[in-house]
Amino acid sequence: MLGNALLAYAGFVALCLAMDKHFTGLLGRKPHPGHLRLLRVAGWSLLVLSLAFSVHLRGWAHGLVEWAAVMMAAVTVWVFALPYQPRLLLGLAAGSVLLGPVLAVLAV
Amino acid sequence: MKDGFRQAMAWLHTWAGLIFGWLLFAIFLTGTLSYFKEEISHWSQPEVRSHALDPAHSLALAQRYLEANAGHSGTWFIRLPNAREAGLNVGYRDPNGGPRGSVSKNLDTQTGQPVEARDSRGGEFFYRFHFQLQMPYPYGRWLSTFCAFIMLLGLVTGIITHKKLFKEFFTFRPGKGQRSWLDGHNAIGVLVLPFHLMISYSSLVLFMYMVMPAGIMASYGNDTGKYFNDLFGRNDAPKAAQVATPLVALPSLYAKVQALQPEARIGNIQVQNPGDRNARVTFTQSAADHVAYRRSANWTFDGASGTLLSQGKPESGAMMTSFSFAGLHMGNFAGPWLRWLYFCFGIAGTAVIGTGLVMWLGKRQLKHAQRAHMPGELRLVEVLNIASMSGLLLAVAGFFWANRLIPAAAAGRADWEVNVFFIVWGLSLAHAVLRSGRRAWGEQLALGALAFALLPLLNGLTTDRGLNHSLAAGDWAMAGLDLTALGTGLFLAWLAGKMLSSPAPLAKRAARAADKPRAEAAQAR
Repeated sequence: MLGNALLAYAGFVALCLAMDKHFTGLLGRKPHPGHLRLLRVAGWSLLVLSLAFSVHLRGWAHGLVEWAAVMMAAVTVWVFALPYQPRLLLGLAAGSVLLGPVLAVLAV
Repeated sequence: MKDGFRQAMAWLHTWAGLIFGWLLFAIFLTGTLSYFKEEISHWSQPEVRSHALDPAHSLALAQRYLEANAGHSGTWFIRLPNAREAGLNVGYRDPNGGPRGSVSKNLDTQTGQPVEARDSRGGEFFYRFHFQLQMPYPYGRWLSTFCAFIMLLGLVTGIITHKKLFKEFFTFRPGKGQRSWLDGHNAIGVLVLPFHLMISYSSLVLFMYMVMPAGIMASYGNDTGKYFNDLFGRNDAPKAAQVATPLVALPSLYAKVQALQPEARIGNIQVQNPGDRNARVTFTQSAADHVAYRRSANWTFDGASGTLLSQGKPESGAMMTSFSFAGLHMGNFAGPWLRWLYFCFGIAGTAVIGTGLVMWLGKRQLKHAQRAHMPGELRLVEVLNIASMSGLLLAVAGFFWANRLIPAAAAGRADWEVNVFFIVWGLSLAHAVLRSGRRAWGEQLALGALAFALLPLLNGLTTDRGLNHSLAAGDWAMAGLDLTALGTGLFLAWLAGKMLSSPAPLAKRAARAADKPRAEAAQAR
């Protein structure tokens, strides 16, 4: 469940950064349009990956519920903690991209 | 037209939210507590000890106790202990058995003897309150169902009103007064929207037999019992044959169920006509085993011969849909992590309602910031906001304090715990009437902070189940409630500090409010 949660978190961070104003605000530079598209694709892929792991690990019934739960938790943490700890949260996102798949694969 | 529609929806959102917000806040908060119903009950009856689970042994103990004490009764109920409930609960119908005509006891799973636990409703009180509202049947259920409908309406109208749902999906700007409240209200509503929609829609599904009874009445008339029997695949037991026949050993039937459905956890066992030739034993699978709340997962045996008579039929698609919504709402299947997430989302739902109520008032207060007195209707909303939010928190704390302070042997103590809950709530209303808005908020939150933060200490002083013991013994239900209370206390202290420290710079806010109509007028053009 933690692996899926980290994947979902990283996915939402990518989707957030795929928005021009958030990219500029958080990273302090203007994004290249190609970057934004890449981030959007990466974000959605991470969310789908999280769903795939969730369903594979726990079956459709539990998997879908857990996926919905970690999605909501991940994005809520991101949005509400962001104004206070942007660096920490960005670092956590970077860590999640690496750690999420590892934990998810280990759980299989 | 489009703006007209959106404005109409905004109006509906504003006013339906205000009128039902106070009650919805209470329903959501107590409903959220109900995700930890068994844990709260465990905390409320510290005398019930948990032991390693052994269902077959527990069944044998229950049968021995009931045969010795309830041989005269026509119906027995057994509820097996599980990971969240320590006690082995046995009950039986008894014509002289108290107000409901039945007797219920908690047995220790090692000795098989009744545990002399303090009488308390525990988590059951909050659970019942969240859909019955302490009103006589069926009015409370009607009102709470109607509130669920208003919540659903509030969500839909809120989404329509929210102009920049996707553009501001990730936006929260703290420290900016009304702007921040609106951001928070929107974000917590949108980000946890799947939960909010599920919980309010499924409430309507849970009570659909009440909300839309026409189909049932057309087919079954007034015999709704038969409808539920058909729905859940139950048969009424035959009348007692009045021929004494010993009941088969329940553990042997349990073994048969395990052979039919390996790893099935059993929740309830019902025995009808025990000790008679026409005895019937029904095992129902624990709701923790499926996401869907499949009440039809059951097995009925002949209690005299031990043969399997019937088992629950597979559900139709429509039934599975309805059972899935019921299961998702109650979350019986959730393990510890998912249960905590359920709890957090419940708090999020409560926060959406709370922030909405605060904003309704805040927006209107700004217009009167320079006057000495608030108009009466705003003052009324303010008082009700305070009593329904911080007052309710005080009432919950009061319930827990009463649980530890009312002597364990006192007569009617379970009722008194409930009385304390409502008395504290009433006093908080009186306090809110007597004090000015900010002071009332601050004082009630500060008292709440003390009451919650000191709860672990009170528990440690009045029982031998304090944190020092529960943490060492790995009793996470007991320790979890203490620690959650401590965390709640710290959070309330922080809130109270904000309320009691320097009031928000009124002049600045009023000036901004004065600018606002002009800006809005410009925007409209």
